[in-house]
Amino acid sequence: MSKRIWQHPDLPADEKTVSWRSVGQLENTADFRNWLEREFPQGAAEMADESEAETSRRSFLKLMGASTALAGFGMAACRRPESYILPYANAPEWVIPGKATYYASSFPRAHGATPLVVTSFEGRPTKLAPNTSHPEKVGTDSFAQASVLDLYSPSRSRRVLKGGKPSGRAEFEKAFAALAADKSAKIGFVFGRDDSPSRARLVKELGSTFTNAKFYAYEALEGEAHKAVGDGQRLVADFAKADRILSLDCDFAGLDPVGPITPFFDRRKPEGKDYKNKPSADGMNRLYQVESNFSLTGGMADHRLRVKPSELVAVAQEVLKAVEGKPAQGRSAAWIDAMAKDLKASGEKAIVVAGSRAPEAVHHLAAAINAKLGSVGAAKALQVVKTDAQGLGDIVQLQKDLGGVVEHVLFFTPSNPVYDAPADLKFGEALAKAKTSIHFGLRTDATAHASTWHVPAAHYLESWSDARTSTGVYTIVQPMILPLYDECASELEVLSALLSDDGKLLTGEGEEEAASPAYTEVRKTFSDLAGDKEEAWKTLLREGFLADSKYEAGTPNLDAAALTKAQKAQPESDKIEVIFATDGSIYDGRWIDNGWLQEAPDPTSKISWDNVALIAPKTAKELGLYEEVVPLETPTSAVPPDGEGEHRTGKLISLSVNGTTIEVPVQIGFGQAENTVIVSLGYGQGFNADDELGRSTANEAHVGQVGVNTGFDAYPLRSMGNPYFAALDAAPAKTGKAYTLAAVQEHHSMYGRALAREVSTMADKKKGDFEKQLSKVKKHGMDSHAPPNVSLYKSEDREGNSLLSDKLHQWGMSIDLTSCMGCNACLVACQSENNIPIVGKEQLAKGREMHWIRMDRYFASQQLTDDHGHGVVDENDKPVFDEENMEMIPQPVACVQCESAPCETVCPVNATVHTEDGLNAMAYNRCIGTRYCANNCPYKARRFNFFDYNKRNPLVAHNLYRGPLGEKTVGTSAHLQRNPNVSVRMRGVMEKCTYCVQRLKDSTIRQKRGQKQAALATGDSTATEIGVNTLRIPVDSVKVACQEACPADAISFGNLLDEDKSRMVRSKGIERNYDLLQYIGTRPRTSYLARVKNPNADMPGAELIGKATINMH
Amino acid sequence: MANIFPRWTNFLPFKIAICVGALGAGVVAGFTYYATPKTLAVGYQPSQPIPFSHRIHVEQLGLDCRYCHSFVDVSGHSNVPTSNTCWNCHQHVQKDSPKLQPLRNRMDPLLKHPDFGKPIEWVRIHKTPDYVYFNHSAHLNRGISCQSCHGRVDQMEVVYQDQNLSMGWCLECHRAPEEHLRPLEEVYNLEYDPEKYLAKEVNGVTNAERLGVTTTKDLGLKLKEMWQVTPRESCATCHH
Repeated sequence: MSKRIWQHPDLPADEKTVSWRSVGQLENTADFRNWLEREFPQGAAEMADESEAETSRRSFLKLMGASTALAGFGMAACRRPESYILPYANAPEWVIPGKATYYASSFPRAHGATPLVVTSFEGRPTKLAPNTSHPEKVGTDSFAQASVLDLYSPSRSRRVLKGGKPSGRAEFEKAFAALAADKSAKIGFVFGRDDSPSRARLVKELGSTFTNAKFYAYEALEGEAHKAVGDGQRLVADFAKADRILSLDCDFAGLDPVGPITPFFDRRKPEGKDYKNKPSADGMNRLYQVESNFSLTGGMADHRLRVKPSELVAVAQEVLKAVEGKPAQGRSAAWIDAMAKDLKASGEKAIVVAGSRAPEAVHHLAAAINAKLGSVGAAKALQVVKTDAQGLGDIVQLQKDLGGVVEHVLFFTPSNPVYDAPADLKFGEALAKAKTSIHFGLRTDATAHASTWHVPAAHYLESWSDARTSTGVYTIVQPMILPLYDECASELEVLSALLSDDGKLLTGEGEEEAASPAYTEVRKTFSDLAGDKEEAWKTLLREGFLADSKYEAGTPNLDAAALTKAQKAQPESDKIEVIFATDGSIYDGRWIDNGWLQEAPDPTSKISWDNVALIAPKTAKELGLYEEVVPLETPTSAVPPDGEGEHRTGKLISLSVNGTTIEVPVQIGFGQAENTVIVSLGYGQGFNADDELGRSTANEAHVGQVGVNTGFDAYPLRSMGNPYFAALDAAPAKTGKAYTLAAVQEHHSMYGRALAREVSTMADKKKGDFEKQLSKVKKHGMDSHAPPNVSLYKSEDREGNSLLSDKLHQWGMSIDLTSCMGCNACLVACQSENNIPIVGKEQLAKGREMHWIRMDRYFASQQLTDDHGHGVVDENDKPVFDEENMEMIPQPVACVQCESAPCETVCPVNATVHTEDGLNAMAYNRCIGTRYCANNCPYKARRFNFFDYNKRNPLVAHNLYRGPLGEKTVGTSAHLQRNPNVSVRMRGVMEKCTYCVQRLKDSTIRQKRGQKQAALATGDSTATEIGVNTLRIPVDSVKVACQEACPADAISFGNLLDEDKSRMVRSKGIERNYDLLQYIGTRPRTSYLARVKNPNADMPGAELIGKATINMH
Repeated sequence: MANIFPRWTNFLPFKIAICVGALGAGVVAGFTYYATPKTLAVGYQPSQPIPFSHRIHVEQLGLDCRYCHSFVDVSGHSNVPTSNTCWNCHQHVQKDSPKLQPLRNRMDPLLKHPDFGKPIEWVRIHKTPDYVYFNHSAHLNRGISCQSCHGRVDQMEVVYQDQNLSMGWCLECHRAPEEHLRPLEEVYNLEYDPEKYLAKEVNGVTNAERLGVTTTKDLGLKLKEMWQVTPRESCATCHH
């Protein structure tokens, strides 16, 4: 028995690109090869229970025999169980049983609301999609996609707590009414940084009714931007107008938006956003990124400069100098000079954006550079806008006021100040000084327990409200469902109750015969804005936004004194710095109980369920940590003691800042600045007795089942003076301890040549100019010399008809790597659309993740060459690669729907077969779980249900291994989120992407109604000819979940038979289009478009950019 | 050496083999007869909380199917009428019928019955497994009548399952839809007879002449071609 292994030919001798997904791969460890060669890692596919006791074939047969015999006694299956149909008593308007209804709503957030369309089945919101008719094109990110899960989260707060103990709503209402009655009460209100016109109006009214009221806003990671831009003001970018962008540590495409992001990606595509033009670099924008960590925006950048966070101010100073015409100085002078020249050449079409968490000085400098370039102003690429959130105090002010001018405090902020406020603020102690503190939140977090009262908050999908997007478009927040739990209250309901005569807290539907209070308030705000016409209100509810509404223009704050101070600032230090990063999965910690986000791998580190400390390879080597992370093969042990999979551990290191020490597992972070340690925030909120490291269980109640025992809390290191980064007291020290990590970066690794391809708009000595490079995209890697494939399988039946017989629809997809940044929005959207379960950290570490979309993230770099053009190698004969211009290429891979699918031929039961319209379908009910198909899939796109993840909660310790004795979770709130049109898969079944076949079926069936319409028009159905146009769905009218979610418009989907009318077909027609593993002859329906980088030829290292074509082993 | 086995055992293996074979065949035959949808599902006729008679409502009163099953041509799911659909008429008609007491309890606010506002629990008769996505509208809008799957519901006093709804049965029709196709105008007419339809004269021309067909089978084929009806047989048609 031997498995035929495809022998990939050697790489071309002049190939200088080094690419890898993980350290293990870079060092080619044995464990990595194991991942590559096996479909599932060793152990994942074998029967073994957790205590490693073997279940032999013999005992298996014994048990099966006994259970079969026992089954005979009961004969339970012989009678058909009676089931019932329960129609509504009174039919609600618009609801058609079995059909979804769609509502426009939005998700309020600190950087501006995300406009959404909510899919609702019989009153249950199940799926979120961006509102495409909204003037602001932002798409969705993974947080917006996952927010629907919070509504149904089993760990969501349901009861009113008093002093952390369950209390009742009635008792709270009494205390609340007493508070509302005292008009001289010293109340402090703490809101989030999101902007709601209704709230702003109520705040004004509260201010005049409660004469001693004070108002604050707080979010943990809010930064210092507002100090520079002005109180209540914000800088908003219009990327459609920006030709050149310099980002000073601003992850504007990812975690730190500064304006609608889709237009940025539209301008990354050389053929234009609809693939209609001839490819040209002229319309493309160019992004310069200066940053410390490797952010998603940094991955998109054409030129990237790695600096320590403390050096950022110096870089900004030099940029200002260079833009003013003086030569820059310092280490990066050449880089800055060339860049500044390019910025100046673009004039007002060049913008500088600074990260919201960057030091205040950077913001002042950025404002000065923008002023110099002339890019700020009405109808220009950057605008200063005036938000409704004016005159709100911050957390430092609140801490001072507590116990003094503020005796009662109400928390509405989505952050968790007791846990996430700067450590030296000692906010918990200050809070104890308040007479009453009332916390409204979805989770019973640290602040909920520290407050006198905790009241469960209504989710935004359960409450009436309104919000502003980043440019200030008035956008509605509509309830889709009444609050799931009776004790919930929403922000507007509470504020309006305080203003009412009797202080009675009315929530949900409010009183009988009267509109609910929150509705009344929103309606009033809206009529102040747009008049009291019913028609306008209905349009708002239907469209989701008020047309032509926007923020007033603000005044740019050019504070000369502050600028002079910023120009003189010299905060550089030679110490190693720790960066408190915003987490890509749980943001500031607020999403810690969201299973989808926890399980989605971090976009760069690919770690799920935990946070780690990332250190650049060179620094790690200097500190002696590299060998700790990558246990290299030694002559005596072929298999390293540590590696990927369930045995992967991270070695704990200790980090101290000003005497406070935390321990975090260390991993290698490629592309980040040297001498930095990146630790993301928000983890480690609570532990229980099962914690691996035996940490204190004092905060166990602060987190639910999902968030417990995850990660390490870095907030204690953070202080008011150092909210973003801090110098370490000493170099990170080893502790000798280890901690299990679940990393998916090596899971499902693919072999192959030229998986992700990249070209540059800049002419290259060897590769030619842009046009030449484009023409060669299809010939990258193996495809240059592989002979054309001859298929052994016939594509016709015996009569000679094509097996792909559908004349109406043939589905296809393209994914544009030029605009994909790897943000995970598609991955989470797919999870919510297709009922994909989470599997938990333990299972994930074994390689059993269920995500249908695998977000591959490749790092690539060029081998340095000497003067003769030979590659440079080190003393161990390993290539030395350029660390300055490292590239990151994400590549989402799901099932590519091969026309000659290798999986189909090996299925013994025909459970995976081809459909007439070109899908590689899965019949779950037919699958018997041989896993042959997954073995034979060259793209490793298939996922297997090793356990019944849907019915048996994998987060309950050991639950999966208890078999029938395990705890079943049927009928919990999380099941309400399920898409009724997709089968919920059970144990032993293979699953994978099928292009959202339920949506395709729905659209084609809907189209069939056209026949009825045509017949009605002619009056006789037998006299009506039905043509292709009656039965074929309109061009590009169906969207799949991942495509819909994508903020970058990177995914095109459509009908191949629509020809050039379809965006997808046009995209497949351009030169950048290539098939993944084309040379093995699977003829995939999903193709990829090569990534284009648009470097500036004058920049140092420009010749190294745009060459990251990924070849794997 | 004496014979250990007596002579009669010579044929014992054959006898055993025959018996085992017969037993096996019996089990298979028995299973096919008793335990397949044909036997288990067809004729299932549970009693309902309200003994609703389709015969009275359809045959005698002439209600269209879509009066109650109002979204059947729009949605995949054929809705069972909400209580207020019944109540529209029955707050005026048959006001004292004891059979309608469960409806009055649920709909009449004056009775102050504890069941007020609760749904009526109809017992489900036609049920496909959870992993089957059958879409009513896809069939009705393409000329497949209610009758093809549900039988002559208009004549049923108590509804029962008429067809077995097994996968083989589905495929039979997907392979030869012409046997069930009918003009869209006749889809909800359960008394439809293709012979009569062909013989019917409109403006002096019979439908048969107009369509250029003679037999009822030709009519099906003609409609299939004219409407481009190409039912799928691939798994994803019903399983996703």
